[in-house]
Amino acid sequence: MSEHATPRVNSAILNNYIGRSVRLTCKTLRVNPDVALVEASDGGQITVRMLPDAVMPSQFVEIICQVQDPSTVKMQACINLGDKLDMKLVNDVVELSHDSRFTNMFNY
Amino acid sequence: MSHQLTAGICKRLFEADEPDDNLLELRPTVQFLSYKKVATGGAGSNVDRYRIIVSDGEHFLQSMLSTQLNYLIEENHIAKHTIAIIDKFTCNMVQGKRLLIVLGLTVVAKVSDKIGEPTALQAPPGARSAAHSASPAPDGPVSAPSASSGPTPAPGPQSSIQRQASKGGRNSAIFPIESLSPYMNNWTIRALVTQKSDIRTWSNAKGEGKLFSVVFVDDTGEIKATAFNKAVEDLYEKFQDGKVYYISKARVNLAKKKFTNVTNEYELTLERNTEVQECHDVVNAPTIKYKFVDIVELGNLEKDATCDVLAIVKEAGPLGEITTRSSNKTIMKRELTLVDRSGYTVRLTLWGAQAEQWSAEDQPVVAFKGVKVGDFQGRSLSMAMSSTMQINPDISEAHVLRGWYDAGGAEQSYQSHTNASSGGSGLAFKREEICPLEEVRELGYGEPDKPDVFSSRATVMHIKPDNLTYPACPTTGCHKKVVEVTDGWRCEKCSVTHEKPQHRYIVSAAVADWSGQLWFQGFHDAGQVIFGMTADELVEIRENNDSQYQNVLERAVGSTYNFVCRAKQDSYNDNIRTRYGISRIEPLNYAEEGKYIANLLRSEWAQ
Repeated sequence: MSEHATPRVNSAILNNYIGRSVRLTCKTLRVNPDVALVEASDGGQITVRMLPDAVMPSQFVEIICQVQDPSTVKMQACINLGDKLDMKLVNDVVELSHDSRFTNMFNY
Repeated sequence: MSHQLTAGICKRLFEADEPDDNLLELRPTVQFLSYKKVATGGAGSNVDRYRIIVSDGEHFLQSMLSTQLNYLIEENHIAKHTIAIIDKFTCNMVQGKRLLIVLGLTVVAKVSDKIGEPTALQAPPGARSAAHSASPAPDGPVSAPSASSGPTPAPGPQSSIQRQASKGGRNSAIFPIESLSPYMNNWTIRALVTQKSDIRTWSNAKGEGKLFSVVFVDDTGEIKATAFNKAVEDLYEKFQDGKVYYISKARVNLAKKKFTNVTNEYELTLERNTEVQECHDVVNAPTIKYKFVDIVELGNLEKDATCDVLAIVKEAGPLGEITTRSSNKTIMKRELTLVDRSGYTVRLTLWGAQAEQWSAEDQPVVAFKGVKVGDFQGRSLSMAMSSTMQINPDISEAHVLRGWYDAGGAEQSYQSHTNASSGGSGLAFKREEICPLEEVRELGYGEPDKPDVFSSRATVMHIKPDNLTYPACPTTGCHKKVVEVTDGWRCEKCSVTHEKPQHRYIVSAAVADWSGQLWFQGFHDAGQVIFGMTADELVEIRENNDSQYQNVLERAVGSTYNFVCRAKQDSYNDNIRTRYGISRIEPLNYAEEGKYIANLLRSEWAQ
């Protein structure tokens, strides 16, 4: 099942999952029809290759994507998270879920 | 690399008749040959003292390190053969031998070798030691110059003033309170009396006794002093709050931390031969140090914290009496209303003698130290055993406050911390103390002798649909159920008949968390939070649109809230049941709760 798991990441942790599918909770900075620039929960900026005709529904989104290189991902799906989100808390969750103390709770 | 030690200093200290200014103002460079931990006697002491051998390259001397410098040894800043400059020290005679007490030092270098070949100094000639080990040297040419010496906290230029002022019959060096220890027996301190207690008597298995206590404060610290039995009779009248005295010949003991919250490891026992002399030297008199908090910031302090407040007493309530439920004693109390420049107001309670003696001269500035913060009606203050207050103190902040108030502060309207607390009970939700519901049931909250207030986080599972609201009297403050009569609704308490009642909630809800489920009872405030509308609105929907009503009920279920509840036992036809009343209900601020949990996971507890 672990290939289907999509761990939630930030820009730093992204590096460990090159070639795999991950979830990126982020804030949209610039949206173009085919490429978007987003900011991850730890402040790092990532380029997202969007699906054709895809629309970024709100300021905060969670993108399920495939990691191509440490700063580029290819979007597979997008979830609307609204216009208000505490990114610091998101980052805490992301980091704690990768913490060695809790590996048996997360199927990464 | 060799360091220059102040050669000859050990010999000079050893042979000096009395510590004279020149000697004590020297900052000699010395080498520490070795150190040894000495256990201080007495049960419950967890403070070590270190004895160091100090060498000047020619001779060596025994010395004790002041406890506040203990960390230098414990953190290895000082080791064997370390070279240091002694910034502050004092000398004492102990058992005929001169003992150096190091109060301040600067480490110069850590060296591996002993410098020179220091030897022990000869014991001083018999005559000298006899003269020195007698307590305060008799009047003589020695008295004036030794009146002020290095270790006093007074800076250089002012020491001459002290010298002149203290010519009147005082004849030993003034020591700072911070240097007091059981190793010294020939000391005098100059301190302000800040808390003189009443004479208290006790009787226990060993017999009867009486005591009183005072707290002495000077520029270096504070120390508690107690007098027992006979000493009480001699000394009680001699001390007065707010005056400065010279005290000597009291016994230095380890502090009994249980009985005091004065910060000092030691305390004094005043005995019949303790000497107390009033000090008339107003210059440089020690004063109480305050750290004032604005009233608006009291909200940030936890319940039971202590703080200092400087404020205008806008109003002083009448003297009242309260009977304590536990011991059936009557205590006098008085409430003061305080305001300050932050635009906020708070109430402060005086107890006992302070309440009785309060003479409210129009709106004085008062400085309170060590008052306890409570959460009665938002925020409240109360005088504790160790609190002190100074009316119209002579400090600059007080003058500023007076100026502000007289110039218009009096007309200002103030805010108080009485924020919306359901049922007016002002209980705060304590997320650190969240109790799982099953534990509330198991621990028997609400039974006699058990706590009755608890905080929980739970989800509403089911609301009893019948008897959700009742018609109540619309008069503000009166929530009594009104009875329908021919031309309206009658309230018995107010003896008024209203045209329409104001509906209020009585909610009986089953709530559950991961551990279990309990039934909580809530009133109007709880109902409004759970349903998101007033009871009147709900009644209207209920009477007009049944499906919408069902909708509302369904929507209320499944929400999670933070609760503060009070458990109470009732007996229902021979059954004793514990009912849990909701004092406070708050919807969750997920960001805040999440942050708290994230921090908790990063704290020591989670490692």
